[in-house]
Amino acid sequence: MDLDSQNDLGASRWRELLKGALAVTPLSIAVLPWGLLAGSFALESGLDVFQSQAMSAIVFAGSTQLVACGLFKAGASLSTMLLTTLFVTSRHLLYSLAMRPHISKQPLRWRVLLGFLLTDELFALCGKQKPEQFNRWYALGAGLWFYLCWNAASLVGIVAGAQLPNLQELGLDFAVAATFIALVIPQVKSLPVLAAVLIAGVASLVFELIELSGGLIFASLLAMVSAYLLEKAQQAGRGR
Amino acid sequence: MIWLAIILMTLVVFTSRYLFLEPKLPLKLNRHARGILAYSSAAVLTALWVPLVFIPEGELNLKLSNPYLMAALVAIVLAKATKNVLLTTVLSMLLFFGLKQWLG
Repeated sequence: MDLDSQNDLGASRWRELLKGALAVTPLSIAVLPWGLLAGSFALESGLDVFQSQAMSAIVFAGSTQLVACGLFKAGASLSTMLLTTLFVTSRHLLYSLAMRPHISKQPLRWRVLLGFLLTDELFALCGKQKPEQFNRWYALGAGLWFYLCWNAASLVGIVAGAQLPNLQELGLDFAVAATFIALVIPQVKSLPVLAAVLIAGVASLVFELIELSGGLIFASLLAMVSAYLLEKAQQAGRGR
Repeated sequence: MIWLAIILMTLVVFTSRYLFLEPKLPLKLNRHARGILAYSSAAVLTALWVPLVFIPEGELNLKLSNPYLMAALVAIVLAKATKNVLLTTVLSMLLFFGLKQWLG
């Protein structure tokens, strides 16, 4: 390979990396308040500074971190914590399954890196891509930038901790809801996707109200299967 | 004990994110499985935000005075009209905090 085409390759990787980082920026901004909360709440739950930062740096899963802090505070047993983590994190199984066609052919270091970075937000960006549209540098740019923002926000939360006003009462969770709305609604371009959204919405609400553990996953699976059946029914209808 | 819990949680979370990315896992996704998974992003993301918006304080709140619900409805309209993630997020958040001040 000559030098020029190597430079081109390097430039296109950078372009994809930056494109990914740019695409995830709105989501990174919306998650900053959550990161602050994750940091200050960890400290408040009795973790030391290093442990609090480690939650964001190595567990790197917002909802799991917040739930775990609640359990640390309550003095829950290790087995309770792990079982709860398994429930809260189970949706990631679905993400890794959906991303299997995109990522499983990559070398080990890419699989491990992208797997580690596979948050709700990264999946929101890449999950709707077709395997042939997928670019690992784009995914890496998005994943890493999101990781840095999450950890920076947690650090601020840990340092500022006690000085912050009642973060939990500010309604910061709306920011996350808003980004997910902004990402999902433009995907609704066909009847089956509309059905997936409506069924997932209603079912998640019902399951939450009856306090079913793992309701998120059941609601999602129900919506996905129903949407697919509708898609097939539509095709059969057109075939006649 | 805390460190042990953190490390074990890390393993559980990482395993759930990595498991199906492993090519040695003997699993072939057939046409139907891939067809179903095509809806996973729309379904899971919706199932994440809907309870936040409709059940903001532990119980179902369909009232006009629920700032989460009102701001979410505006976000839906904005997302549909602009398809712009940043604009939708920022405008609906401003509206949300405005409503919260005004109603609360």
